[in-house]
Amino acid sequence: MNFKHRVVSIIARAALLAYAGAALAAPQAPAAAAASAAAAAAPAPAPAAVPAIAPPADAPGAPPGDFKTLDQEVQGLKKDVIDLNKDLFVLQEELLFPANTQVALYVSMDVGAFFALNSVTIKIDNKVVTNYLYTAREADALLKGGVQQVYLGNLKVGKHELVAFFTGKGPIERDYKRGATISFEKGVGAKYLELKITDHVAKHQPEFSIKDWE
Amino acid sequence: MRRLLLAPSLIFSVALTAASIAAAPTLVGKDAPDFVLKAMDGSNLRMSEFRGQVVLVNFWARWAGDSRQEMPALDRINTTYQRAGLVVLGVSVDEDLERAREFAGAMKVSYPIMFDTGANVGRDYLLQKMPMTILVDRAGVVRYSNVGFKRGDERAYLDHIRELLRE
Repeated sequence: MNFKHRVVSIIARAALLAYAGAALAAPQAPAAAAASAAAAAAPAPAPAAVPAIAPPADAPGAPPGDFKTLDQEVQGLKKDVIDLNKDLFVLQEELLFPANTQVALYVSMDVGAFFALNSVTIKIDNKVVTNYLYTAREADALLKGGVQQVYLGNLKVGKHELVAFFTGKGPIERDYKRGATISFEKGVGAKYLELKITDHVAKHQPEFSIKDWE
Repeated sequence: MRRLLLAPSLIFSVALTAASIAAAPTLVGKDAPDFVLKAMDGSNLRMSEFRGQVVLVNFWARWAGDSRQEMPALDRINTTYQRAGLVVLGVSVDEDLERAREFAGAMKVSYPIMFDTGANVGRDYLLQKMPMTILVDRAGVVRYSNVGFKRGDERAYLDHIRELLRE
């Protein structure tokens, strides 16, 4: 599916969901009217129609099985909202950070016996792009193998320089600030760089490096 | 004659100030903006990590006289309700970090004090006047906001805190 079709599909689904949600929120409205309104509003590429709305639970003579139907419809709508939200997020990322200019920076930590991470400041071409403070939980998550996307942005094609400053507690609980630098070439595709913090066992010191994921 | 002229203008200005505070936008009913700030002990604290607990955020400044009265009251509330799931966070909006630290140290409160030297958090929380206190429920929604502090306000805080802790 190309980009234009995806946008149309997302808009159509959003419209359908809005009508279906409104119909569910006002169950006293006749079911046929809600369904026809939704069908009329739905653009061509959208799925057929909203399922018929069950009568209100407290309506006289409503069969008990309709509670289940209504609940299933609500659950279905919730799932559709989550799916739609995910698609919107992906679309937004693609619009804001097209692959040809995208640069993504990740932070990872291995062992961490000689360094307790407190913050990371990143400069690209001498301009601060992010300054991230880590809580104890976040630092712990990194130690457990988590990889954090610390920055996502756009860069022009060409040569660039990245400088990362790490602050925290070093060996013997001493305040520690170290930097790592990398010069990289931004090509046509997306660029992924990983800021790695590892332990240098022989030196009893932390090591900071930047890996360029080709 | 001058007094006669001064009185209405004074009343008008007070009314105008009160009206502007009353009409000022608040975050009540909205999600509490997330933030991460450095605390007095050097650790970093993130607002969203307290989701599931009732959070009282108190914005203060050493130059705001009411803060001196409010902080001990909040300390008593923190001591009493901490075990019940209340988190009290003090956020200083002082630009002078060293003097703010001195002040916070002198107040000897038991809850964490953080420093918003860039005033970014204050902007997100629509700070109008100092001090300002907000209450955030377990779902992360702002439920109560109080601008300034006068004696008796702590009773209103307690009522809201008890209500939120019961939810």
